[in-house]
Amino acid sequence: MEFSAAGSERAMSNSPAMTAPMVKANAGSLAGAAIKIAARDVNVHYGDKQALFDVSMDIPDRAVTAFIGPSGCGKTTFLRCFNRMNDLIDNCRVSGSLQIEGKDAYAKTVDPVVLRTRVGMVFQKPNPFPKSIYDNVAYGPRIHGMARSKTQMDEIVEKSLRRAGLWDEVKDRLAQPGTGLSGGQQQRLVIARTVAVNPDIILMDEPCSALDPIATAKIEELIDEMRENYCIVIVTHSMAQAARVSQKTAFFHMGKLVETGATEEIFTNPRDTRTQDYITGRFG
Amino acid sequence: MAEHTVKAFSEELDAITQEVARMGGLAETAVSDALAAVARRDTELAQVVIQRDPKIDAAQREIEKRAIKLFALRQPLASDLRVVLTAWRIAGELERVGDLAKNIAKRALILNQDEPIQLTRSVERMGKIAGAHLKQVLDAYANKDVQAAINVWNSDDNIDAHYNSLFRELLTYMIEDPRMISSCAHLLFIAKNLERIGDHGTNIAEYIHFLVTGEEITAQRPRADAAE
Repeated sequence: MEFSAAGSERAMSNSPAMTAPMVKANAGSLAGAAIKIAARDVNVHYGDKQALFDVSMDIPDRAVTAFIGPSGCGKTTFLRCFNRMNDLIDNCRVSGSLQIEGKDAYAKTVDPVVLRTRVGMVFQKPNPFPKSIYDNVAYGPRIHGMARSKTQMDEIVEKSLRRAGLWDEVKDRLAQPGTGLSGGQQQRLVIARTVAVNPDIILMDEPCSALDPIATAKIEELIDEMRENYCIVIVTHSMAQAARVSQKTAFFHMGKLVETGATEEIFTNPRDTRTQDYITGRFG
Repeated sequence: MAEHTVKAFSEELDAITQEVARMGGLAETAVSDALAAVARRDTELAQVVIQRDPKIDAAQREIEKRAIKLFALRQPLASDLRVVLTAWRIAGELERVGDLAKNIAKRALILNQDEPIQLTRSVERMGKIAGAHLKQVLDAYANKDVQAAINVWNSDDNIDAHYNSLFRELLTYMIEDPRMISSCAHLLFIAKNLERIGDHGTNIAEYIHFLVTGEEITAQRPRADAAE
């Protein structure tokens, strides 16, 4: 992984001729990673209240980016800009530039519904439809006309459930309601439903906050496997989770992006005192 | 820095830092007493240094125990992580300093059985420098003073230079009078121990740099020790 190489590279740089201590600059750049989402000067207002202030950052592809920060800091607001979920809120205005693979996500020609098939979202509480496990997964592909036959749909459902690490647990009871699964299984069902429409970006808003540690570990393992194929952005209140699953971390405070960098750097040597205070539990 | 929201966490971090400072004091005393035992031919003091060494070892175990507890129960991050890690690493260095001081004390016991030799003075001088080096670096730790740590880091070549000159001096003595070989060999080992104490001080300086800045010192340290 490109990101973890930064630290070792630092430790190896020795120049024998030096007589004074030399410190190599912070290797916070995520060199080599393709940029999936590029946000520039993004501002979000809810009516008169400004929720985000000039946020600019790049989100790398095939990696997990974590947004951390205290409640109300704007991390979820920023996340919801990526699939234009904020469009659904009255009085919400988004300005600035947000490009996905170089294309403006807010261009007039972009259909938000189509955009959302590419940018899937998983929420805090598992929200399966009151339908069978099979239909939960088949729902998206069906409305987008992705399968031409029952066999093709079966394949999509199986592939999606496998990707979400749920297939072995549910393959014999696909007709049973999704709501009858455990919390962790429901969340993986929702992830299966999300990947069924072939997104390339997956947004997760505190996906484990309602789960026990074992279900959480399963989701985290899944996130780690999925990052090979997707650009994943996760909002989490658990610092440990951000540290465990992400390669890049962004810290938000009062609507501003305070600091962003390689997760390893943020959790060992943050530059900004606000980041330092937050992750070490000193925020009053 | 501001207090933790969980106060007990701050207290535990302070406690481990204080324990390192206390251990540093023990190691410093061991070095200066061992040297005094050599200089004053004080057998009793040499024995005290040897007997006190287990206290330094116990301090190291205590620091490691506290560090393990902090890792397991508090999951320290960023500057807190560096505090715990640095305490652990410095404790390891100080334990070695304690062992080297004990070794000097043991050699003092042997030297005190032979005729006094003049060269003890040169070893004493080198010992003063090594002792001061250790004191400065421990002060730098207590004050989290990165510049003072860098100064110590840069001054280790002074100890190395003393060791080299002492080495040559001792060789000359041994060639001139083979009856001196035994005492001179012990003094040479003492000098080598002091040189190593200097190296441990330098390592501690590097850890202080990491503790305060989060960065490793990456340049190579100036060396005056031709033997290595």
